[in-house]
Amino acid sequence: MNDFSEIENQLKKLRPAQPSADLMSRIERALADEEKSMPTAAVLPRERRFNFNWISRGLGLAAAAALLMFAFVRLQKPTNGKPAIASTAPAPATATNSSAFVPAGLTQVVYHTRDEGLHFPTSSTQPMRRVRSQTRETLQWRNPKTGATLRISYPREEVSLTPVSGQ
Amino acid sequence: MEDVATYESWKTCFSELAPGLVLFARQWARSPADAEDIVQEAFVRFWRTQRDITNRGLLYASVRSIALDFIRRDSRRARRESVAMSEIDQNVAPAFETEDDTQRALVAAMELLPGDQREVLTLKIWNDLTFAEIASALGISQNTAASRYRYALAALKKNLATT
Repeated sequence: MNDFSEIENQLKKLRPAQPSADLMSRIERALADEEKSMPTAAVLPRERRFNFNWISRGLGLAAAAALLMFAFVRLQKPTNGKPAIASTAPAPATATNSSAFVPAGLTQVVYHTRDEGLHFPTSSTQPMRRVRSQTRETLQWRNPKTGATLRISYPREEVSLTPVSGQ
Repeated sequence: MEDVATYESWKTCFSELAPGLVLFARQWARSPADAEDIVQEAFVRFWRTQRDITNRGLLYASVRSIALDFIRRDSRRARRESVAMSEIDQNVAPAFETEDDTQRALVAAMELLPGDQREVLTLKIWNDLTFAEIASALGISQNTAASRYRYALAALKKNLATT
């Protein structure tokens, strides 16, 4: 018998307050609702999460492409002050080559990660641990001839679900 | 309580476990109603995937996880109502059914315990979890669970001796 048997006995005599009478019926309704909505609920939440990620990444890449095109136009523009329409003639091959940017790097900086705890996706038979991370991705291009660089940065949010196995 | 693991009907399981589950959730919820909401959400999600109570550690882990989510969601409201709640707390239904001054002193002493000790005590005494199950529920080692339990009992004993 340890030193704490008396205090343990005292604690065991304490009875937790009973939950309200309608808790059971609320759970019954919730379980019934879950059953009814199972087919839809099994698909939509996961689809929405991944769509969000792809939209975020797609917007970032679209912005990168637009900026890259803008940069090409700027670099091909004559520097003598004549209007751009005047330079419709094919540019010399050397000029084209000098404006060629080549990919120089990609950096991904994870600046925030949050463990959102256990979740029970309807489409999965086991609980998942959800971790949300915010990242800033930076794409970089470099012109080897002129040394000019072009850098595009955009935020990205990622949600990862890891299966949790119970002991 | 041992037979609960083999029960197939959720009603039988839940009626056995409900008082302990709600008591566990009340460590993070400011009112009994909030604690019941947490337990409801946790149990529904748990039952949907598990269909029995064999893995009790996971059930309590899900109550804890949902309670912590609840705190995060509720933090803004909590700040806004903090002054009001400090007065309301005096009138909130007690977590235990006490019969005499000794039991009331014991409950008061428990409220002085650090949260990590109180949650182990709650799981061990009123939910009959083993240290292995407690460790699984809280994401700690069995030794840590056992030592927190001993520290909690020692602190209670000391507090009661001084009152």
